[in-house]
Amino acid sequence: MSQRKRSRGSGFSQGDDGDEDFNLSQMPTHSQVQRNLERRSQDQVNQKVSELVQFLLVKDQKKIPIKRADILKKVIREYKDVYSEIINRAGRILQQVFGLQLVEIDTKHHIYILTSDLPRAEGENLHQDNQTAKLGLLIVILSFIFMKGNSAKDSAVWEFLRRLRVQPGERHEVFGDVKKLVTEEFVRQKYLEITPIPLTDPPEFNYQWGPRAAKETSKRDVLRFVAKVQGKDPTFWMSQYTEAEA
Amino acid sequence: ENREDMLSSRSNRLTEALEEANKLFSGVSCAREAVLDAQFLVLASNLGKEKANELHSEMTAFDSVTFAEDLLTFMGINRIEVEENDSDSEGTSGGYLPSNAWHKLGEETEKYFRRAPSFHYMLGSFKSDPPVPRQRIERQKKTTGGEEKRAMPAQLKKMEESHQEATEKEVERILGLLQTHFKNDPDTPISFFDLVIDPNSFARTVENIFHVSFIIRDGFARLKLDDDKLPIIEPSKDNEGREDDYGAGARNQVVISLSQQEWK
Repeated sequence: MSQRKRSRGSGFSQGDDGDEDFNLSQMPTHSQVQRNLERRSQDQVNQKVSELVQFLLVKDQKKIPIKRADILKKVIREYKDVYSEIINRAGRILQQVFGLQLVEIDTKHHIYILTSDLPRAEGENLHQDNQTAKLGLLIVILSFIFMKGNSAKDSAVWEFLRRLRVQPGERHEVFGDVKKLVTEEFVRQKYLEITPIPLTDPPEFNYQWGPRAAKETSKRDVLRFVAKVQGKDPTFWMSQYTEAEA
Repeated sequence: ENREDMLSSRSNRLTEALEEANKLFSGVSCAREAVLDAQFLVLASNLGKEKANELHSEMTAFDSVTFAEDLLTFMGINRIEVEENDSDSEGTSGGYLPSNAWHKLGEETEKYFRRAPSFHYMLGSFKSDPPVPRQRIERQKKTTGGEEKRAMPAQLKKMEESHQEATEKEVERILGLLQTHFKNDPDTPISFFDLVIDPNSFARTVENIFHVSFIIRDGFARLKLDDDKLPIIEPSKDNEGREDDYGAGARNQVVISLSQQEWK
């Protein structure tokens, strides 16, 4: 009995009210979770797992990474003491049923994304929307950054994009407000990381790959893309090739 | 300032600036100057790093200009012969980029990504009301289905028989019934409802009304309201009926509504 009380105490902060801030730093240990599991009915736990799977699928629609705090507050709630078990099971279901991978891209702040476990199937993309075009723009930027040594200045990036008829000041036929798309949407989705360069006036920025880009594609894949577009072998760019194969 | 200039691999300007800073530092005596010097060092090291980066990519010959050209080609640019060769100064090449250019590129790109497909419910998130039209169709189907079921085995063999003939037969049959009844009991008009209602089948009832309407239309019977304001039907004598047909105002239209509830 005293064991139970202790784990309960470490799992919750003040009260069992679902709206309270969850004391995130005190998550139960693995053995505590196993003990807590025994107290719960399997049906209830499975119900929570299903809810979490749905929650993750819907949250992923906009490709904005999902925070653990949101998961705890909106789905897990009073089942926080078995959180790790629920999230593990949810991850397994996503993988086995949907072919999706639940990836923690930030282990410090506990942020998750969904990626595909399976290689892209051949065939036409039936869901016609702007997402495909945006992906084209993204790979162009990611390629540029990688080929330039994994980071590029904002002025260099935009000068390059200008050659592709993409201007930050103009409204683009396909992308609309391109500047916003690149500097806000891609950054929020964690495809790009844009950091200010210190002591620059007017302020300048550094563009790098974001954690989602690193998980959804690879240097090797991007080099393959560049090689294909330019009709060359990836080994043409020796140092990038070496880096990509590392 | 002069950032691009300093970055150019051909220039030694960065080295010169560093050397000058070095010289100046010896004259530094107060804190503010030292701060400026420190700021300069940060700037210089940033520039130095960039220069090193440039050097790196030059060694491996990544040319972003040709990459951009190749991308445009991939996207399906339609290059027209541009007479004025001002494209270089603008930094962009001539040509017409089709509207699906980026989409085309995106489709190729998807092969290099492992992006989770966006999950959307097929039916949307709203609960839809049960479709009303479908219920009506079901009811109609029931009546026609019933008719087929009730057909005698003998009649089924005659599949070529048209609906029109079947209706006529029914009409004649009912007229026959009506006349027989009236012959037997001429003074009692038949309650319309007694005639048409089939206690076992609403569908049949509707059919009966349908058939009786033909009888009335053709003038073989008349509908009247009795003292209780309930409709009664009586066969008309042959000549009487036909005369009425051609008389002005002989025809009236009656709308009878009968719901399933009322029928019950």
